[in-house]
Amino acid sequence: MRVEETVLPGVGHKFTVVTHSGDKVVVLVHQTGVREVYFYRDDEDDAVAELELSDEEARELGAILAGVLYRPEVSGDVRSRVKELTIEWIRVEPGHPCVNRPLADWLARVPGVHVLGILREDEALYPNPPPDLKVEVGDVLIAAGSRAAIDSLKRADCRG
Amino acid sequence: MELHPSVPAFAFAVAVLAAVAGVVQRFKFPALPLYLLAGLVVAPWLDPEVIEPLPTLGLLMLLFSVGLEFGPDRIDEISGRASRAGLVDLLALPVGVALGRTVGLDWTSAVLLGGVVYMSSSAVIAKLIIELRRAAAPESELVLGVLVFEDLAIALVLAFFGGHGGALGMLAGALLVLGYLALARWLAPALARLLEAASDEFVLLLGTAFTVGTAVLFNALGVSEGIGAFLSGVMAAGLGLRDRIEHLFAPVRDLAVALFFLAVGVSAVSVFDGLPLLAVGLVALALLVKLVIDYFAAAAGGLGVRRRVLTSLYMVPRGEFNLVLGALALAHGERLVAQVAVLLVLASVPLGAVLIRFGPDWTRRLGPRKRRAT
Repeated sequence: MRVEETVLPGVGHKFTVVTHSGDKVVVLVHQTGVREVYFYRDDEDDAVAELELSDEEARELGAILAGVLYRPEVSGDVRSRVKELTIEWIRVEPGHPCVNRPLADWLARVPGVHVLGILREDEALYPNPPPDLKVEVGDVLIAAGSRAAIDSLKRADCRG
Repeated sequence: MELHPSVPAFAFAVAVLAAVAGVVQRFKFPALPLYLLAGLVVAPWLDPEVIEPLPTLGLLMLLFSVGLEFGPDRIDEISGRASRAGLVDLLALPVGVALGRTVGLDWTSAVLLGGVVYMSSSAVIAKLIIELRRAAAPESELVLGVLVFEDLAIALVLAFFGGHGGALGMLAGALLVLGYLALARWLAPALARLLEAASDEFVLLLGTAFTVGTAVLFNALGVSEGIGAFLSGVMAAGLGLRDRIEHLFAPVRDLAVALFFLAVGVSAVSVFDGLPLLAVGLVALALLVKLVIDYFAAAAGGLGVRRRVLTSLYMVPRGEFNLVLGALALAHGERLVAQVAVLLVLASVPLGAVLIRFGPDWTRRLGPRKRRAT
């Protein structure tokens, strides 16, 4: 699969994906969070199918595609446990009250969440990050736990 | 207690905009061009002076957004093909200047006319591309890349010709513009970390104060305030605030920009007073020159025949910088250039919207031959 990313000033980012079978899909990520997905057949100049998704819908669909909610090869028993737990990639946005605080501060008020790793731009993945690691803007926390616990991690407020 | 007269005028203006937006939504047509036309219609009942400073802020915020999104830092991000197209597109500037000299304008006015011919509107085109869902098409990528070039080129042109204080003003203007560009490139990224933990409210207020303050500073030094707002946007992008400001400013900006376009429509009515035939001719020529040059620009950008035609259609709308150039021409005492600038916006925004809306359907025959298996 070939993926090409381009910046569209004033609009957002455009990803052109050519699959192994030769189909072309263009994904637009707007600044507003809206996603547009276009499907092209190789003998047509214009897209033959299009789809518009809100930010939330796109994440949901992305999780399904990534196999977070259901992995085809696992047995039914494991699946139900995976259903209760979810894994989420949480991007730390500027202005988050816990920016530049150690990970321990983030986790202090949210029981039941495990941060499996931290992705930092231009650096290697931090697997099993130590609690004193300072979380910076742009970091992506890979968090596992119940949906409610993960939601409260997103809203963690270190000032209180 | 009596209401300030700006309040009923504001209510009227916003009601007109709401009505337009509501009607247009049903037809899947972008609202911006119709705000302009609505301004022409309601001109007798609306005095834009009364709702100032909103329309002026609309233009400043529009230019700020253009600087934020289409600033010179994007040059590194756009493809080589778009760069080649941008260089061909640049030809429209000298052609426009030559046109101005031919009809007997002095050099400053001719350069301003060159800018009017050359500049397409990044703000209007980006909005039309989003609303009409054309962003995935290859020509959109090329068009948006070329617009980055245009905005940088006009910033440099205005640095030298935008001043209204003679030779000294020209020097001050050039130094100021180059200084801002240099700060945005080298100093701002170093300060970016300081702003990461700042609250949204602080960023919103600081951004507004900085933008409007820069515009006032530029104006006081005899440089176009519009270029000041544009450079503030470039600075904000350098500070790493692009995504945050885009979210924070979007609703405020959309309201102010809608009011601004309505006000442009209202004040455009006076342009028709004693409109010389020459102005109309220049508008037609400006549209034609750009269409032809952009066809070849798209060819340089490596697109096929149909996409070349679409590229030049997408580049039709003029907007924010035309109005800045028009205001400068008026300050320079050249009414003709101002008339051409305003008339061109008035004609090209609705025309461009129609072309972008229906162009892909009309040009289908020009596309690559289908190789359908039988």
